[in-house]
Amino acid sequence: MIRTVLVANRGEVALRILRACGELGIDTIAVYSDADAGAPHVLAAGRAVRIGPSPPAESYLAGDRIIDAARATGAEAIHPGYGFLAENAAFASACQDAGLIFIGPPPAAIAAMGSKISARSLMEGAGVPVVPGETPADQSDAAIAAAARRAGFPLLVKASAGGGGKGMRLVRGEAELAGAVSGARHEAKTAFGDGTLYVERLVSKPRHVEIQVFADAHGHAVHLFERDCSTQRRHQKVIEESPSPALTPGLRARMGGAAVAAARAVGYRNAGTVEFLLEGAGENARFYFLEMNTRLQVEHPVTEAVAGVDLVHAQLRVAAGDALPWTQADLRQRGHAIECRVYAEDPSAGYLPQAGRILLYRPPERPGIRVDAGVVEGSDVSVHYDPMMAKVIAHAETRDAAIDRMRAALAEFRILGLPTNIPFLLAVLDSPAFRAGRVDTAFLDEAGSGLAAPVPLPAAALAAAVAHAETARAASAGREESGRDPWAALSGWRG
Amino acid sequence: MAGTQRFIVRQGDVATPVEVLTDGRVRVGEPGDVFAVTAGAPGWYVVTSGARTWRVAVAGPPDARWVGAEGASACVDVQAEGQARSARTRAVHGALAAPMPGTVIDVAVGVGQQVRAGDILLTLEAMKMELPIRAPRDGIVSAVRCVPGELVQPGPPLIEIT
Repeated sequence: MIRTVLVANRGEVALRILRACGELGIDTIAVYSDADAGAPHVLAAGRAVRIGPSPPAESYLAGDRIIDAARATGAEAIHPGYGFLAENAAFASACQDAGLIFIGPPPAAIAAMGSKISARSLMEGAGVPVVPGETPADQSDAAIAAAARRAGFPLLVKASAGGGGKGMRLVRGEAELAGAVSGARHEAKTAFGDGTLYVERLVSKPRHVEIQVFADAHGHAVHLFERDCSTQRRHQKVIEESPSPALTPGLRARMGGAAVAAARAVGYRNAGTVEFLLEGAGENARFYFLEMNTRLQVEHPVTEAVAGVDLVHAQLRVAAGDALPWTQADLRQRGHAIECRVYAEDPSAGYLPQAGRILLYRPPERPGIRVDAGVVEGSDVSVHYDPMMAKVIAHAETRDAAIDRMRAALAEFRILGLPTNIPFLLAVLDSPAFRAGRVDTAFLDEAGSGLAAPVPLPAAALAAAVAHAETARAASAGREESGRDPWAALSGWRG
Repeated sequence: MAGTQRFIVRQGDVATPVEVLTDGRVRVGEPGDVFAVTAGAPGWYVVTSGARTWRVAVAGPPDARWVGAEGASACVDVQAEGQARSARTRAVHGALAAPMPGTVIDVAVGVGQQVRAGDILLTLEAMKMELPIRAPRDGIVSAVRCVPGELVQPGPPLIEIT
């Protein structure tokens, strides 16, 4: 087993990994930026090393400083968590060059999956379904029209060089094709200096269903079922669950098999996730490879709950060279798990991220509830990092019971000091579409504004606001004193 | 024993009169409902009215008081009746302060410049999002109190318009 692990991350995922190491008797080293001095992950580690100023580029993204910290402390391995350097093939290589174990896949697998074009062709070669589409070598109108007919309508014409929706046209049928091609070509030339076009069939109302995979260095690879992450806004996942309401056992087995084939095609090792778009539901649904996330995912606790496994323990064991702790036949999906991400943000102001001090923090405590948090009471939510404060995971026998349990947990979760998305999460859980398991990836962007409306405080809350012990004292102290109030520097947005 | 204490509780643009009665119960609104409030663990209150009970968490100073109940939370301004609103409250409500801590990435106006309501005055960046700060009304820029690259906090005005 590995003796010492440096955790190259912060917040809840750093704590998750540090705790797993502790359980396995592994010594731990945390790294931190100036903004995180005294943060929960720093206090939880055996040792902690300052790696730089608050901006990520000078700290959590500074691979050389992290490797220096590992060398200085005698760490044998680095766990990157998610985000930051987790999917950076150059960093994974640099770890290996420095004689450190990178707890994740081989650098070549990260690189292969990091390029959309190479990943797509690798997946086609491995027999994993991809969204029908191509970049015709002959870019004449006639050749693009022929490629469009091969892909099928409705489809998207996209700038091959592009992104951000520029040079992209929706084509519902043959009649719209010629206009879309000339418009997209012109826009692509203007925006990217390259008019090369790509045609791809539009997957209508897709769900986002991903498969957790795990492979070791001994030729074993398994899948740990799916997570349905269709509840997302602007491609940001908000709620994840397993099982997916859309999967049948047959479809689950086919998607699991495809995900394992995808992992084998790139020589994958350790934990990874193969993301698919799912069109339709039930036995006739079709799924298409979207991308592979070559790391531990934010939503991994959903899988841990239904499969009864510890994915981080397994990551540490596999990185040390052990065989996978389970075979495919050992793995069962039991009950239903849901995760909600609790963000410091104001959903009614376009999900504007919020920063400030957490004045009061009381997480829910009840059977079947897990809270993975990166903050404690008194923590500052910094402008420098992701505003996710905590994840709440509910596990119960059925989907309905898991939703009810999550509702109760979120309603008793008290975070004061800055706006949170808890009222929004409750509104989503209560929406008829979510209850019925009919959410696709467009749902929140279509229905979101209604769900994101501010929730008024009950009158009883105003009574407590006035009764709070400080009121009388402050009321008699006068305004000048209030102007020097130490809270003045600490408060969040009250716009 | 003194008479009742009267307060105004503001949440955004909504002001609610709240009165602490001589028996310690609290009336919210006019005529409003009367609640009994019992302090529990620090920051926790059990509020009852008839058969209903709410568990409410409270933290922060009177003019930036955070309250959470039943999945809803908000910041309110608790002010004794007849008291002037604090300078801090007014400054934040002036909309030319940073709504959140962030870095100034651009200052688009200078002192003496005429601006129209809706013009972008400066741009902040926080959490990888750009946030334009716009003029709330027509006027002339009388002061610019920040420079590009500066990390600013909510509260103090960054730009003043007369």
